[in-house]
Amino acid sequence: MNILSNFKYVFQMQFFRNIGFFIFFALIQILISIGIVIGFTYMMPDPSISTILYLATGAPTLILIITGMVILPQQIGTSKADGYLEFVRSWPVKRSVILAADTAIWILITVPAIAVSSLVAHFIFDPGYAMSWTVVPAFFLIALTSIGVGYGFSYLLPPELSLGVSQIVIFGALMFSPINFPMERLPEWLQNLHVFLPLHSMSEVMRASLSSTYFSATTGNYINLIIWCILGYGGAIFILNKK
Amino acid sequence: MILEVNDVSKVFISRKAKTVANDNLSFSIQEGEIFGLLGHNGAGKTTLVKQILGLLIPSSGDINLLGKSVIQSPTWARSVCAMQPQSQVPLGFLTPRQAVSMMGKMRSGKNFNPKRMEMLFEALDMGEWLDTEGQKLSGGVKRLTAFCMTAISPSNLIILDEPTNDVDPVRRHYLWQVIRDLTRDGTSVILVTHNVVEAEKAVDRLAILHKGKFIEQGTPSQIKSSVNNLVRFEISMLDHKVKLKTPEWAISTNHSGSKLSFSLEPSNVLRTINWFEDQMNSGKVLNYTLQPTTIEDVYIELTSEKEIIR
Repeated sequence: MNILSNFKYVFQMQFFRNIGFFIFFALIQILISIGIVIGFTYMMPDPSISTILYLATGAPTLILIITGMVILPQQIGTSKADGYLEFVRSWPVKRSVILAADTAIWILITVPAIAVSSLVAHFIFDPGYAMSWTVVPAFFLIALTSIGVGYGFSYLLPPELSLGVSQIVIFGALMFSPINFPMERLPEWLQNLHVFLPLHSMSEVMRASLSSTYFSATTGNYINLIIWCILGYGGAIFILNKK
Repeated sequence: MILEVNDVSKVFISRKAKTVANDNLSFSIQEGEIFGLLGHNGAGKTTLVKQILGLLIPSSGDINLLGKSVIQSPTWARSVCAMQPQSQVPLGFLTPRQAVSMMGKMRSGKNFNPKRMEMLFEALDMGEWLDTEGQKLSGGVKRLTAFCMTAISPSNLIILDEPTNDVDPVRRHYLWQVIRDLTRDGTSVILVTHNVVEAEKAVDRLAILHKGKFIEQGTPSQIKSSVNNLVRFEISMLDHKVKLKTPEWAISTNHSGSKLSFSLEPSNVLRTINWFEDQMNSGKVLNYTLQPTTIEDVYIELTSEKEIIR
């Protein structure tokens, strides 16, 4: 049987098994993303248009981070604990096909939230989106990096530990990462740390494609993401194939 | 030969200890045979099964499925061998019909046969739950669904890990019937269980795994004769206060509440029944049962560390 039809059936199985959760989760993501765009403006009196542009271009990145590095590790933790992961490993398909089908599902459920939050931001604040053609590859690169890293640490670590990591990621991404505000506001040591972590590169690449007239991403940002993406998926495949 | 396991050992090494989960195991399974794998919790059954599926690599030895090495072609091994895991398969929002048909398509592709699915559902009398979401199903129906997911495509070998757990007695009976029917089509079955009583009725051959080693292997009658041929005599007494002196030929007597039981040589059976009638005439006892050694007796005798008092 070919890889394509394997992919189709694994996708169906994984998608429909969790369909209720995915719908619920997509709705929650929409609320969170709108919340980021609108809610944060309440925290700042008279936000400038550039502040709003930061929030509006940061929200999609945060959605991808929450999906890949918070929700996904929780799901993996559950399927490790209830033995489902072990059952999946006994299926007559290549592990990479399972990983690809799961990745496709996770990417799919972020689309509504990113689309809705961008539209809402555009119509309420008109922050000056200027989409470049790079938005599609940028979206995939960021999504794959986030999901890959999420897979990597949730397969590598025991469930309790990976849950802890995902809590730190969400808190760190919201408060201590230059996703919704410029890098310069952070203390120097955090700035240095963000050169290595993928979070800042994700937000830079996203911003550069959503508002190409105001922002640009460096080659370093792209390389950073590609390395993290390979590390994440590599680790996940290593663990899945471990015997 | 469907499956050949040759001198397989699996050693797990962690920082604290070295655990020998499987110690030089060898066995083979013919086409259409049901092979029982019996053993305590932690005896090494699951480790062995995982190696047959290519989910673990043996530390030494080799495993051949249809003459092909599992270690070299694990993905292929999983396509000719299906497994029902011991833990419940979380079906989530999938109904039994969806779960089984998706698994069937994943295993057989275009050759998936919906009629086979309907036959399985019918044989297991699952009709009323076919379109109920998995999370609303009872444990037994979930277990049966997992069985159907394993049996949906014709495989050379299926591994069933405690398939009758949570299943009601009537459907258990149906399930054994379906498993027997599968073997008639040439499917071989490995039955992993610690339900010894059920296994005795279902399997063609079995092996008892204890602390990673096979301590006995053969047909149920071969295994029974390897231990002893004693007969068990159990008496129900009028009440628990009655004191009864057992005959001098009684072996390993056990007195528990109003039950008294002991083993005896088959040649002493008639004497014992006569003795029992005397007791009945004196109004101390109600009735008796007489049964030959079961695989369970053998199993307990072979695997127990402590002396079992019966």
